[in-house]
Amino acid sequence: MKASSPTYQHTSIWRFFSSVRLAVFLLIALAITSIVGTVIPQGESLQFYLETFGPNFFRIIKVLQLHDTYHSWWYLILLGLFSTNLVVCTLRRLPFTFKLFRRDNLSVDSARLLKMPFKKDWEIKEELDNDSTQSIISAFKKVAGKFHETADVDGGRLFLAERGKWSYWGVYGLHGSILIIFFGALVGLFLGFKGSVMLPEGETIDHIVNRQTGEHIPLGFSVRCNRFNISFYDNGAPKEYRSDLTVLNDDKEVFHKSIVVNDPMKYRGVTFYQASYRAIPEVTVQIAKSETPQSSLTISAFQKALWPEEQLSFGLMQYQPSVHGRPAAQIWVGDQEGRAGNFWLLKGNEKEFQWGENLYKISLSNAKQRYLTGLQVKKDPGVWIVWLGCTVLIVGFAVVFWVPHRRMWLWIGRRKDKTTVILSGQTNKNKLQFEKDIRKIEEALNSSLGVRQ
Amino acid sequence: MTFSSSYLFSLTTFIYLGAAALYLIHWIFRVQKVGLMATVVTSGGLVIQTVGIGLRWIESYQLGYGHAPLSNLYESLVFFSWITVVVYLIIEWQVKRRVIGAFATPFASLAMAYASFSPNIEDKIQPLIPALKSNWLIAHVVTCFLGYASFAVACGLGIMYLFKNRFSGASEGIVGVMPDCRILDELIHQTIVFGFLWLTLGIITGAVWANDAWGTYWSWDPKETWSLITWFVYATALHARFVRGWAGRRIAYLAIVGFVSVMFTYFGVNFLLSGLHSYGSQ
Repeated sequence: MKASSPTYQHTSIWRFFSSVRLAVFLLIALAITSIVGTVIPQGESLQFYLETFGPNFFRIIKVLQLHDTYHSWWYLILLGLFSTNLVVCTLRRLPFTFKLFRRDNLSVDSARLLKMPFKKDWEIKEELDNDSTQSIISAFKKVAGKFHETADVDGGRLFLAERGKWSYWGVYGLHGSILIIFFGALVGLFLGFKGSVMLPEGETIDHIVNRQTGEHIPLGFSVRCNRFNISFYDNGAPKEYRSDLTVLNDDKEVFHKSIVVNDPMKYRGVTFYQASYRAIPEVTVQIAKSETPQSSLTISAFQKALWPEEQLSFGLMQYQPSVHGRPAAQIWVGDQEGRAGNFWLLKGNEKEFQWGENLYKISLSNAKQRYLTGLQVKKDPGVWIVWLGCTVLIVGFAVVFWVPHRRMWLWIGRRKDKTTVILSGQTNKNKLQFEKDIRKIEEALNSSLGVRQ
Repeated sequence: MTFSSSYLFSLTTFIYLGAAALYLIHWIFRVQKVGLMATVVTSGGLVIQTVGIGLRWIESYQLGYGHAPLSNLYESLVFFSWITVVVYLIIEWQVKRRVIGAFATPFASLAMAYASFSPNIEDKIQPLIPALKSNWLIAHVVTCFLGYASFAVACGLGIMYLFKNRFSGASEGIVGVMPDCRILDELIHQTIVFGFLWLTLGIITGAVWANDAWGTYWSWDPKETWSLITWFVYATALHARFVRGWAGRRIAYLAIVGFVSVMFTYFGVNFLLSGLHSYGSQ
């Protein structure tokens, strides 16, 4: 990367942004500053930081946005500089790579071949006949592979076997992949959303709540939770959280999936993840007005249940699974006029209460847990771009470090009035393997030329 | 009960400690035979440990849990030690210098000793919690730990380099038997390149998994962030080679700093910071 094309007169800003020194500085800066957000808790309320760190340090936290380090202005500036550095480095290197890529490796002379990192030459007293020439060429071809030929180079024939020239482009894939990943992240940030919802069993929603802003996001369809289930191992550790979901479109069931952690439901680009759950108590009461038949009413926590015949509302204020060995519930009663009262019910004990002019009988017939499933809901149209970037990153990395550009030359001609054969080669990676290969050709040529070792 | 995975792991611990001692003796007293013995003992330990890992896998099925032995700190330490020995033996075989063993096998034996003797580490086979039930578990752990193991070896090589560089005048004695500074430098670089690829793959498989489990491929959880910090350190080491004056000693220092970062990603995050990877601390 330090090589620069002399034909370019760069400004100092251009040079600053294209230097590997800046890249190294930014990598170190990112490494060090990233530590901050792992030490200071992230995403808490400002009150929390004031209480934990005191007023002085709190000011620093606020200015540097250390409560959200990785989205703070200075961290984004570092990432911006990092991207700029990548782009400018790429642009600066491009002409150089083009030159390398376009270079005609057949336009060399025999003197240069003898200056290559790997070389061997044979001087032969008599002329080479056709058969020995052919056997030399085929020995070369056997190891070196496909080759090009030019006649009349320095008064001889030149053969070139070249492999992996394209590998010069690997570094652009590697660096470009980081930009692709950043781009994918931005697409997700601007065109997607992240939200969550607590959905009670049996209920349907058509919107979710944005995680950051608290806004409602309409889904364009509805989701119903049919059932939520937890199972446990023998030792009491949780084994599985499972939600049975149904997608409804205009009240018609269109899709069904049972989701667990690690196996979400996808529908129209929106993904639903099993994230948490809550259990709330739910009681069933039998209630009657003196002589009328009994009705059954189910009351959940956090919700009012209406007894339509009498226009009375009931709520569950408290629930105790065991009072003297029996479940008990504190029931709230209210009517249309705004009057309200409450009382305790113990299972097995019928209770009478007076409301206005009427006397009612009520008893607790059943109590159970009702589950709410906690779903993370996400839409991220950029995620495929991120995976593409990751793939390019890995492939680019492999090319940069493991695909060599190998060149092997064979020259047969006359030098200093003697018939001469030159074998030479150059590689930019994996010199050991290359050396082995070129030694193989050398041995084959030795035997073709009748040289004893 | 005697032929259980935990028995084999205890055995492995002592074998690796012995192997590390043999490599040290080979290095300090320059006895060739002891070096060969060290290689044989290490390989034997590796075989026993491999059987142990396989056995633990089978035992987890017998208990009705049925998962790869990569699910908690104890199992990850055993795996770290195993894969460090594998990476080291490959390098020994390629480079044919047993002195490196004195700087690499201690990592494997320390990991085993820590797993076996620390009272805070639960060595029972536990069932998988729902978050870990995924096909990505094996891919994620194996890739990450291949990275960790390579960086452990690179750190050992870095220490060797600094040692050698400090006493560069000596052509004999315990420094003389070490590989050339130039070779060490190249080896450190190669090992870092190898580890960097696996760390990158580890981060990517982690992101794919997180996207499946939590709905976000990156959430700046301390473990994720520290793996990224480690990634930055080694990316620095790779780029620094292009800048003049950043070869040799500085790369050796970076190999050591990088491994400190790896260790913090591995242990520090579990014990000192809280986050989504907390199951790794039990």
